[in-house]
Amino acid sequence: MNRKAVVREFCFAVLFLLLAVLLIGLTSTALRPVRTNYGAVWGPYLGEPEDSLDYLWLGSSYAYCDVNPAVIYDETGLTGYVLAGPEQTLSQTYWYLRQALETQRPSAVVLEASALHFAKYQNYTQVNVGYLPAGLNKLGAVFTASEPELRTGLLFDLYFYHSRWKTATFGELRSALAPPLADQCKGYTAVDGVFDAIGDGPFLRDVQEEAVYRANLEDLGRIASLCADRGIPLAVVFHPTYSQLPSQVREAIRADVADLDAHIRFFDWSEEVEAAGLEPSLHFYDPGHLNRAGAALFSAWLGDFLTGEMGLVPRPQTGENAAAWAETVRFWQEGGPAVTE
Amino acid sequence: MSFLSPGFFLFFPLVTLFYFLLPQRARNLWLLVSSWYFYLCAGAGSFLFLLCALTLTYAGARFLEGQSGRARRRVLTLLLLLLFGTLFLFKYLGFALSMLERLLSAAGLSFTSPALELILPAGISFYLFMAAGYLIDVYRGNRPAERSFLLFALFLSFFPYLLSGPIGRADTLLPQFREPHRFSYDGFRSGLLRFLWGAFKKLVIADRLGMLVTTVYAAPDQFGRLQVIAAAAAFSIQIYCDFSAYSDMALGCAQVLGFRLMENFRTPYFSRSIGEFWRRWHISLSSWFRDYLYIPLGGSRRGRMRTYANLLIVFAVSGLWHGSALAFVAWGLLNGLYQVIGGLTADLRTRVRGRLGLTEDGRLTVLLQVGITFLLSTVAWVFFKGGSFTHALFIFQNMFTGPWLTHPVTAWGLDRPELVVAFFTILLLLAVDLASLRVDLWTGFLRLPRPLRWALALSLTLAVLICGIYGTGYDPQDFIYFKF
Repeated sequence: MNRKAVVREFCFAVLFLLLAVLLIGLTSTALRPVRTNYGAVWGPYLGEPEDSLDYLWLGSSYAYCDVNPAVIYDETGLTGYVLAGPEQTLSQTYWYLRQALETQRPSAVVLEASALHFAKYQNYTQVNVGYLPAGLNKLGAVFTASEPELRTGLLFDLYFYHSRWKTATFGELRSALAPPLADQCKGYTAVDGVFDAIGDGPFLRDVQEEAVYRANLEDLGRIASLCADRGIPLAVVFHPTYSQLPSQVREAIRADVADLDAHIRFFDWSEEVEAAGLEPSLHFYDPGHLNRAGAALFSAWLGDFLTGEMGLVPRPQTGENAAAWAETVRFWQEGGPAVTE
Repeated sequence: MSFLSPGFFLFFPLVTLFYFLLPQRARNLWLLVSSWYFYLCAGAGSFLFLLCALTLTYAGARFLEGQSGRARRRVLTLLLLLLFGTLFLFKYLGFALSMLERLLSAAGLSFTSPALELILPAGISFYLFMAAGYLIDVYRGNRPAERSFLLFALFLSFFPYLLSGPIGRADTLLPQFREPHRFSYDGFRSGLLRFLWGAFKKLVIADRLGMLVTTVYAAPDQFGRLQVIAAAAAFSIQIYCDFSAYSDMALGCAQVLGFRLMENFRTPYFSRSIGEFWRRWHISLSSWFRDYLYIPLGGSRRGRMRTYANLLIVFAVSGLWHGSALAFVAWGLLNGLYQVIGGLTADLRTRVRGRLGLTEDGRLTVLLQVGITFLLSTVAWVFFKGGSFTHALFIFQNMFTGPWLTHPVTAWGLDRPELVVAFFTILLLLAVDLASLRVDLWTGFLRLPRPLRWALALSLTLAVLICGIYGTGYDPQDFIYFKF
């Protein structure tokens, strides 16, 4: 083969590889179920106009079940997004925040911090890390915040989802391949129903052993450093809940967070159920999560917190985005999505 | 490390890249280090055993070469006893003791065989047979003992065939390790395509059919007789796809690196007799038994009865090679018996064909013979897969008793979409195997127009990735022949 032919074949080989990667990428995207609720909703997040969000609310299911940004917007005009995942650990949250800050520059980051007493790995790494957009942050999450046995699947979506060829409908495939669009949930998931045995509470949550807690605290430190580097105020909060960490544990957390970074603001609302306007027998889906009505009340209360305590002021929005948020408010005022039990 | 493990997809490109980047004199050392790393993934114990086996064989062959007459024979016997004795210890001692226990119990004597916890080193049956073949070649004066330990170690440990063959021969492999290998783009592409085709056969066909076979064979009395018969036929295809897939991947890897390994399969299910089937199935093992057991036993040179006896011995041993259980011996013997009966009835069958007006090589005759050969081998595979002699008989019993079908028909390990995929991929396999009778698929592929070539390669890749049986929630199936 002469030199010219070698170069030509090399170019074709590269082209073939690119085509193969493109096809595999498209197939992976098509077969991975579209995620619209219960956290890790990166598609709609990426559909938000750049630098349009006033705040980001991070955490686990306690965040995405309790905070409805549409209600906060209606109360205050603040735009925000709940970027949380089920049982999301703080090591995963760190990578979430890094990724989130690539398209948004929020005026505040609020972290629901129950994950300080989560285990190193919880049960939903496949969802939390798997749905991160492809890139260095995802790689970081795969190798530092995921169980080793899940890494193959996290790096290669088809490993988890290839057998969906049997069940996926054409519509599902098409919507998986569609470009991301902002939705009206803004990361919030409404759950309906009340917890009948709430009268037996409040209940105490399990506390992790010291080493696990210290590792989680280190991850919180990384989150705080990232916020500090970007000049974004960070608030660490515990929502009003009937699944509480013991009060002395929460006090220890308050002290540890203050030691970590004096600029982190800490708010423990664990026992402020009534103060937030919540009626335990009506507003808890289970001891840890608020139902739709509870989340609406709590979110309105949070609006005051964000504008008052945190001093946030709504940033200017384009007419198009303001209309989209107004539509979101209307959507929720008319009842929101179908009942989720 | 399996060819289909994520680690291998990192290992193999790196091995290939550095192999061609390194200067010629360092390449064999690189291949040896890589092969040993590949084998170390099977466990340090296995690796130490490989080291012992190759050191013994290397030194033994050097010593053997210097001997003559009876001493030469005694040295060979000792070396073979050491090799096969170790194989016996790891693979057959438990079986032998359990047989002894059964025999003594039948005679009214009490003996409980101890529970042995020996772990069979991966690939032991393959590389010990290579070592034994090499020693016999040296003993016969067919080849000199290898002077270079590096080359000899590589001959026995080369990763493409180390775990499951093909069982290579020194006369074809050792010279290749001495030759310089320049990168061949055609060899690279053909090798990768062959690897991909192997992955397709294993992940898309074999493992899919495996789910059906495992479900039905686990409780054959829960299924209709047609389903049990279909499962038996499915296993015939499964084991062919599984083992020939491994061989394709081994040959493909070797081809990428510029090496030629012995072909292990030549469309065996197109054979017109069981004898021919064994000349086209696991060729490296069949030819090993031919050269190192059947011919030394006298082959076909000592009369008809002795020929048949030799055949039965060879196939019984071949059965034992596959596994230490009576069912494997039965499987081997049955294959031998088919050939004995075939030999005894050859004239009769010729006369019957004549009466029926079937010409010797007519299309209908060939079709009938191929069908009957498939049927006979399928019957034998029931013993192979059955796990035990009694369970195999239970499977046969359920082919002839009970309802024809149980409902729902799809509740047998494969649902409807899976069955559709299985059906069409088997059709594709048939088409490719038929085409391989006429053209060399791997070089023929390179002559296709580029768009067609790309379309085929990309379709095959996507078929493996989408329809392959792998990934989460699935217990990855080892290659069936890994066990041996």
